[in-house]
Amino acid sequence: MTTVETPAPVDEFDVSAMVRPDRVHGSVYTSPEIFRREMDTIFKTGWVYVAHESEVIERGDYLTRMIGHDPVVVARGRDGMVRVLLNRCTHRANKLCNAEKGNANAFRCPYHGWTFANTGALQGVPMRQAYGEAFEQVRSELGLAAAPRVDSYGGFVFASLAAEGVSLPEHLGKATHAIDRLLNLSPTRRIDLRANWMKHMHHANWKMVVENNVDGYHALFTHASVYDAIRPAKVSHVPTKVDVLVRDIGNGHSEIDYSNEYRKLDEEFVWYGRIPRAQLPEYVGALERAYGPEQAHDALVVGPPHTLIWPNLFLAEMNVMFVEPQAVDRTIAYTTAVLIPGQDKLNERTLRRAEGAMGPAGFLIADDGEIGMRNQAGLAAELPEWLVLSRGMSTDVIDDTGIINTDKSAETPQRGFYSRWAAVVGGKA
Amino acid sequence: MSMTVETGIDEARRSAAISAAMRPVPEADILSFLYLESRLADEGRYTEWESLWAEDAVYRVPMHPDDDPRTTLAYINDNRRRIKSRVAQLNTGNRHSQTPPSVMRRVLSNSEVVAITDDTVTVESNFALFEYRVRQRFWAGRVIHTVRRSNDGGLRLVGKVVHLIDAGGPVDTLAFLI
Repeated sequence: MTTVETPAPVDEFDVSAMVRPDRVHGSVYTSPEIFRREMDTIFKTGWVYVAHESEVIERGDYLTRMIGHDPVVVARGRDGMVRVLLNRCTHRANKLCNAEKGNANAFRCPYHGWTFANTGALQGVPMRQAYGEAFEQVRSELGLAAAPRVDSYGGFVFASLAAEGVSLPEHLGKATHAIDRLLNLSPTRRIDLRANWMKHMHHANWKMVVENNVDGYHALFTHASVYDAIRPAKVSHVPTKVDVLVRDIGNGHSEIDYSNEYRKLDEEFVWYGRIPRAQLPEYVGALERAYGPEQAHDALVVGPPHTLIWPNLFLAEMNVMFVEPQAVDRTIAYTTAVLIPGQDKLNERTLRRAEGAMGPAGFLIADDGEIGMRNQAGLAAELPEWLVLSRGMSTDVIDDTGIINTDKSAETPQRGFYSRWAAVVGGKA
Repeated sequence: MSMTVETGIDEARRSAAISAAMRPVPEADILSFLYLESRLADEGRYTEWESLWAEDAVYRVPMHPDDDPRTTLAYINDNRRRIKSRVAQLNTGNRHSQTPPSVMRRVLSNSEVVAITDDTVTVESNFALFEYRVRQRFWAGRVIHTVRRSNDGGLRLVGKVVHLIDAGGPVDTLAFLI
């Protein structure tokens, strides 16, 4: 890697007019030009979550997703390799694969019948003689375009549309601990994300959706109706009453971490409706056989992560959410439940809990969607120009896990998010 | 190509097939009960709506018609207890996604009886729901009601499954009673 003392200005884009250490300009949520630039930077140059290995477990399995503007097919080829192929016939640009998911050896373009293997290779061209002697060259040139880099961690598959850049382990950095924390709850260290994805249309900018996921301040207010009507929060949402951290993990990743409070309580399944372990004997037994009683106990005490992995993946405790930005004010949130292979009883409970909390009719997320929409509506007023994110700034502490704040309502995660945003969006498009 | 000459036997078979494919329309009191359910939901009369439900209630909005709830997620999959919670949350007046509540009117139509047991009748209907909140939206699909008739003649709702025509696509916030 080369080092440059000061990055040369690449164009007219001045990111300091949009992000400062303690604030972000309203236009980052409303400007179509900035949205376009985000697609061309964040989603074109960096690592983006695309799929989970359990979704493409067999050879031939495929699913269709978006990376920013680009439709892609995530496919496990006949050779066993997972590729991220651009979903466009290389001939005249017809969208090649129009199903959400399936299993296929090949994809055939409905327009002129070109056929591509699930490895991306161009397999068949009807009436090939029209290319004359150039055919072999055409065929070798016109395989499907593919994301040049695909890598995974703990089953989570990420792709980068840029050939060059930091490796996935470098990108994830300490956020791998969050994935590990989730996998510690599985006796096989594998999870299954095939319970179907809820697709919830949020009428808000994609950043509103993701930064809210690591906002420790809103629950008491946005979700008051849940606590009033149904049950109190698992632990208090009043920051001074709980030992809960917010953390800027670095590289744009951030989280709300209850593990100190949970370890202090030393009670299993606080994060899972406080179900007694005796109700899930098979699961607890499998976890103890896999990891020993002490480690299993700790995993059941601290529970799953509540972590945002830049830019589009949210480990939402026993759920996984990812976002698909559609327009500056429109975002689809995809949510599914984390299933543990072989643990049917646990999984049914997880599914019912996910339905209760998440998605368009969820007791929690429906209201987050509403608040996001009202945020977008509020931004139509262009004053004040800035959204100030300075809560807890003077009490942030740097430790070996990142920048932490013991006030759960601190905007430390949002500051981390926008520091990364400025570095990426302010870079070369 | 020449027309097939249909014999009397063919005609009789055809008539029998059509009759067999036809389904009875629900009895008047069942239909009244379904209209009541629609009206209470439309008017946000949450507690009255809740009172229609039997104890073994199932209220579902699946993502795909053939989904198995044991292994897949639905948008809504409420048992009686969760129906009570859903109504309690709406009744706080602080469920932001329904504050103010949607103004709604739904049309229930094409109702057909698809199953009958000793004490229940299952009715499938088409529905179109017009909702205004910030802007107007419409929701449409097939709704399957299962109604129990008790010994005293009272009616209770045992099941309501709503198959949205757009369940496979992104769904807007759905915090009202669909």
